[in-house]
Amino acid sequence: MEDRDRQARIAEWVTRTVLPCEHLVRAWLARSLVSQSDSDDLIQEAYCRLSNVEAFEQIARPDAFFFQTVRNLLLNHIRRARLVRIETVAELDELGLADNAPSPERVTGARRDLERVRACIADLPERCRRVFELRRIEGLSQREIAERLGVNENVVEYEVARGLKLVVKALRARGGDMADFSRAGAVR
Amino acid sequence: MTTRQSAEAIEDEAADWLARIDRHGRTPELQAELEHWLAGDTRRRGALLQAEAAWNLLVGDFPVLEREDGGAPAPIASGMFSRRRLIVSGGAAALAASVAGGVLLIGRGEDYDTAIGEIRRVPLADGSVATINSDSRLSVALEAERRIVRLNEGEAWFQVAHDKARPFIAEAGRIRVRAVGTAFAVRRREDGKGSVGGAEILVTEGVVEAWADGAEGQAIRLTAGQRAFVADNAAVTGRADAPAEVTRALAWRAGQIDLAGESLAHALAEFNRYNGVKLVLTDRALANEPLYGVFRVDDPQGFADALHRGFDVPVKVEGNEIRIGG
Repeated sequence: MEDRDRQARIAEWVTRTVLPCEHLVRAWLARSLVSQSDSDDLIQEAYCRLSNVEAFEQIARPDAFFFQTVRNLLLNHIRRARLVRIETVAELDELGLADNAPSPERVTGARRDLERVRACIADLPERCRRVFELRRIEGLSQREIAERLGVNENVVEYEVARGLKLVVKALRARGGDMADFSRAGAVR
Repeated sequence: MTTRQSAEAIEDEAADWLARIDRHGRTPELQAELEHWLAGDTRRRGALLQAEAAWNLLVGDFPVLEREDGGAPAPIASGMFSRRRLIVSGGAAALAASVAGGVLLIGRGEDYDTAIGEIRRVPLADGSVATINSDSRLSVALEAERRIVRLNEGEAWFQVAHDKARPFIAEAGRIRVRAVGTAFAVRRREDGKGSVGGAEILVTEGVVEAWADGAEGQAIRLTAGQRAFVADNAAVTGRADAPAEVTRALAWRAGQIDLAGESLAHALAEFNRYNGVKLVLTDRALANEPLYGVFRVDDPQGFADALHRGFDVPVKVEGNEIRIGG
């Protein structure tokens, strides 16, 4: 039970502190010429590391910690395999990216951004959106939602999973947008 | 090569899991099934955390714009050292190690080094798998008529793909271990105070033969559940049929140290293999205390806490050391 409680606390902590900067880290990966699927792997691995940190609540700058974790993983991958091209190593050093963690200002901006993602719930497919509204605003269980909408409970479970997948993808897509933006900036 | 599940596929499965749990609640059956799923790939735990965070965003009434800090800092129980400092210094050490080792190794491909605290699973081209423990150096040469892995330092566990035509030989200093299709671990130990160098061999499956170079005639056969130490001078010691001990000695594969009566001094030496932060015993009277329990290799401080509670011994952090005995 204690485990469960910890899991809930860490998920809450991640929602509050790490999710808002995930897209910045993704943008940084994209700038470092890491492919989309490799960067998905790295981010996922970083979350895995986070879930194993015992004293997560005492990390002063979770955003910087997350960034550092991803960066360490990337360096390990560079060392171990041919995950990224060799020039990237030099680039990493040249750019002095060690201190390039998102600044507090950027993170605050990112939080506003996150509110926007939440707003994208409005863009979910109709039945999916309805399910989440009932779940969130009225606090109905899946069974109650099924009764209310007159559908099978399996349909509700399916919609819940679908909505979650769409939001995770929306979070990821923001990283791509940011990367494009940064690259354009660099060319100019 | 086995096909690796994509990060995206794992994310989707994590979402399915949360939807299921939301529907049924965390029943023991569902929890067990979930644990089983999580155990299948280390990345899944990360995906689950990510999905739970997204879930909070969707369903929870979440004050995203509040609280600039990382959460309420809980008071530190003992007041003697900060967990945060341990985490940060450990991370910095790992980073320094990875940067230092970085560029030189690229392109060689056959060398696998692990930093302190790093445990790496490396699939080899022949279908075998090497799981390399912390702070180890392994090089691999898969030749047409034989497969050679050289453990220059540290420890590794090999799951050998069956291939009668190409024996699999592990070399650790002068020590040789030959297998056809089996699983075994080798730990290289250098000459130390009053002890001679050699290699410890632990067999988890099948049969192996082990000998010191130049003394092949004296090769010993070890079967699953057996262990032995072969010294560079060909002497064999500690040969035993001890399946439980073999399993415990390989708990590092799951990131654990499993103690069942080993001395405190032994336990500290084990922890120090995995961490930049070193445990130092200043109260020598405790050196031979037998210890029991399973601990995480990367949590020396948790272990120090346990000692503090168990033996009522003062624990003090100084620089990169955690001193047991003050």
